[in-house]
Amino acid sequence: MSNEKSSAVAAQHFLLRRLHSLTGIVPIGVFLIAHLTTNSSLLWGKIGLRGEPGPDGQPYTFQDGGVAYFWKEVFWINSQIPHLLLIEITLWVSIAFHSILGWYYATTGKSNVKRYPHQDNWRYSLQRWSGYIGIFFIFYHVATLRWGWTWLVPSGTKWSHDYSVSTLAAALQGSTEGWTAAGLLVSLFYFVGITLLVFHFANGLWTAAITWGLTVSEAAQKRWGFVCAALGVGMMGLAWASLYGALAVNPQDARVVEEQLLESKGKSGVPTPTGRETAAPADGD
Amino acid sequence: MVAPSKPVTSKPDEVKPEMGRTVRFTIHRCDGPGKAARWESFDVPIEPGSNIISVLQYIAAHPVTIEGKRTTPVVWDSGCLEEVCGACTMVINGRVRQSCSCLIDHIAPRNGDEVTLEPMSKFPVVRDLWVDRERLFYNLRRVKAWVPIDGTYDLGAGPTENPDKQETRYKLSTCMSCGCCLEACPQFNLEEDPEHWDSAFIGAHAISQARLFNEHETGKQLKRDRLDELMGPGGVSDCGNAQNCVKVCPKEIPLTESIGAMGRAVTIHSLARFFAGKK
Repeated sequence: MSNEKSSAVAAQHFLLRRLHSLTGIVPIGVFLIAHLTTNSSLLWGKIGLRGEPGPDGQPYTFQDGGVAYFWKEVFWINSQIPHLLLIEITLWVSIAFHSILGWYYATTGKSNVKRYPHQDNWRYSLQRWSGYIGIFFIFYHVATLRWGWTWLVPSGTKWSHDYSVSTLAAALQGSTEGWTAAGLLVSLFYFVGITLLVFHFANGLWTAAITWGLTVSEAAQKRWGFVCAALGVGMMGLAWASLYGALAVNPQDARVVEEQLLESKGKSGVPTPTGRETAAPADGD
Repeated sequence: MVAPSKPVTSKPDEVKPEMGRTVRFTIHRCDGPGKAARWESFDVPIEPGSNIISVLQYIAAHPVTIEGKRTTPVVWDSGCLEEVCGACTMVINGRVRQSCSCLIDHIAPRNGDEVTLEPMSKFPVVRDLWVDRERLFYNLRRVKAWVPIDGTYDLGAGPTENPDKQETRYKLSTCMSCGCCLEACPQFNLEEDPEHWDSAFIGAHAISQARLFNEHETGKQLKRDRLDELMGPGGVSDCGNAQNCVKVCPKEIPLTESIGAMGRAVTIHSLARFFAGKK
């Protein structure tokens, strides 16, 4: 009975469960919203520039506007946000914690959607599957685009801050010269990964409210469900816009815009993210 | 016998039951703990108004399979025969429910319809459709699902009860410990070793009963013990929110609301314990 279990173990169990729930929202979920907002600017960036002309004085095309705005966002993040590495490490640790614990928790259940094909039950199973696949996706995403594990990238593209759009597009499309079969696979993996993870967050937000006891009545759970669904749909739009933006970019055209931006930043004396005044084109792609 | 194909069933009252029909019952059988399981089918002539129990009584009197092979009578558990004791709970056409309140006219109105019967899968089988639900009751003891009034002297009148709370409690009090919520729960799984019962998921029924007795003015004397238990391994945080429990509950108890309510209670309890508790 209850007194056979030491309260320390019981408290730990509860603490870990609640930390698992909490980390999914803060910092991971909050970061996800910011991350998708930034990334989707590849598509809507031209609007964000509010008519601002390019370095050559000419107005940007829609495509180049997206490239320029996203590039500036990345530039801003890497030059203006303090303690960036600390923030990154916090995120990595949180994701690792949430993943390992989540994987373990998921193994304690046994899906039964065949027998009980209710919508809630489907989401129960999907929450677990999106977690499993999402872990692999996030690992691939961070390892290739942040840690520089280029051997996992088709044609070995190394993502760089200075060429944030062209290297991203090349990493997803498979090469700088257009689509390759491997690039198609990577892009498909991205589509599946981001779609599942946005679902995972929106659904996790819904269940977290029950876990913490915010939503108790069925009506409240339903109301909160609509809020989470709306947030999920919105974030799904941002996620798909991000991916579409990255896939629609021509890496070579993006490179031209990036060179111009690097040069103008150099002229204004603002150091580039990597600390070079005016960067020479990186080798490789 | 091979496992049956998807049973042919109709929605209740969609089809007028045919008189003098025969329905085929395919039953998951097992002679005892550790013995091999098998499927056996029986053709049963249906009388108007008969339920699964009367079908099983017919099979007990005529234990002959569709192959003409004589077999042992099918064993099942039952008590009240009016859906208040929970003993006759089994899996009928893939869905858990009480066999006494399951009318053949509803689930198999046509001649030649098929029905499958299986024991609940989350409890050890004693024999055929009879399972041992001991863990269900053990889990009620884990959360001390009772009002502490035993003693050697008269305790006098209890505290006044709030009618609002009484209304909430009434619905929760209709739980008959049948096990439907556990059978349908993906987080509650067969655990034959009682050594693990303390740390495996406690189940919606026990969470809801903890809420029932915490809402009771005298029962709440044990509130902290119940919440401590629900915070521990296998407690309320092990719920995966699949919400099957509430959909299969024959008494329509708001189990998911109880889970939310106890989630809230342990949130508050843990904060109180962290900031003011001695241990």
